[in-house]
Amino acid sequence: MINLSQRSLLALFSRIVLGVVLIYASIDKIIHPDAFAKLIGNYNVLPFGLENVVAIILPTLELIVGCCLILGIMLDGSAIITAGMMIVFIFALSQAMIRGIDVSCGCFNVSEAEEGSQIGFRRIIEDIIFLGLSIMLLNRGERKWELYPKT
Amino acid sequence: MNVRLPFVQVFILIVFSSLFSFLLNGLRSNGIPLLAKELAVADKVEIKVSEPQLLAITIEQALELYNKGTVFIDAREPEYFEDGHIKGAWNIPFFFELMFKLDSLQGKDSPVVLYCSGDECGSSEDLAYELQGEGFTNLYVFKGGWTKWSENGHPIGP
Repeated sequence: MINLSQRSLLALFSRIVLGVVLIYASIDKIIHPDAFAKLIGNYNVLPFGLENVVAIILPTLELIVGCCLILGIMLDGSAIITAGMMIVFIFALSQAMIRGIDVSCGCFNVSEAEEGSQIGFRRIIEDIIFLGLSIMLLNRGERKWELYPKT
Repeated sequence: MNVRLPFVQVFILIVFSSLFSFLLNGLRSNGIPLLAKELAVADKVEIKVSEPQLLAITIEQALELYNKGTVFIDAREPEYFEDGHIKGAWNIPFFFELMFKLDSLQGKDSPVVLYCSGDECGSSEDLAYELQGEGFTNLYVFKGGWTKWSENGHPIGP
């Protein structure tokens, strides 16, 4: 069994990894909302042109949650949202792969379809790891290095 | 509200992000409409157009243009193209090559029909927007695509 301080360190590690990944992923999408909306449309999962609403909200949510994770603000809520996003991404990626639709991932970069940004098992596995980290963060036990709310 | 409760935090974060993002989208110059618009469907197809257009067409209109000798562009990946395509269609994966070939053969104002696998695919529409961005003015997206065309027994090429 790992002791309490190791668990705190592990939680801090998860916070930083998830935070950096989320912030990094959000930047290009915030700069190019139109390109991101088109990419979401290519996944063919949303009806009625809802891809635009998602393209507006999702990147900002990623950015804000990413900052909250790193700073330790409302960590439980942030971890739940991160886990929720990862579940949605895993679902969207898998259904696209199963249906064999040819879409670029839009995970980190929407500007150009660079090599390796296509959907693949790698992206799904990454998201499963991130999901694991956020669940671990939810069960972190001791609350250390957190700004708000203080316990 | 007790901010210690995880679900209250989720609620706060989502509401705050939504408000912030809508505000940002409204203020910025390259904001997007809240709902994506579908392509308008063409009333009739024209060889010469007076103003730039990008419209969706039905299978009947696609056939009409086909019989007039319009260029068809297959926006799918080459391996799908090789399995079967609309007879005479082009499949050029490199955008600049496609653009220069179109421009040098027929100029930017002649009609071009774009298609992909069927109603569900978006690559033909994406390509149409890219061509529009390069100054092509007479673009038609055949939404039914390869599925509809082959089901109706229209000319196909190996």
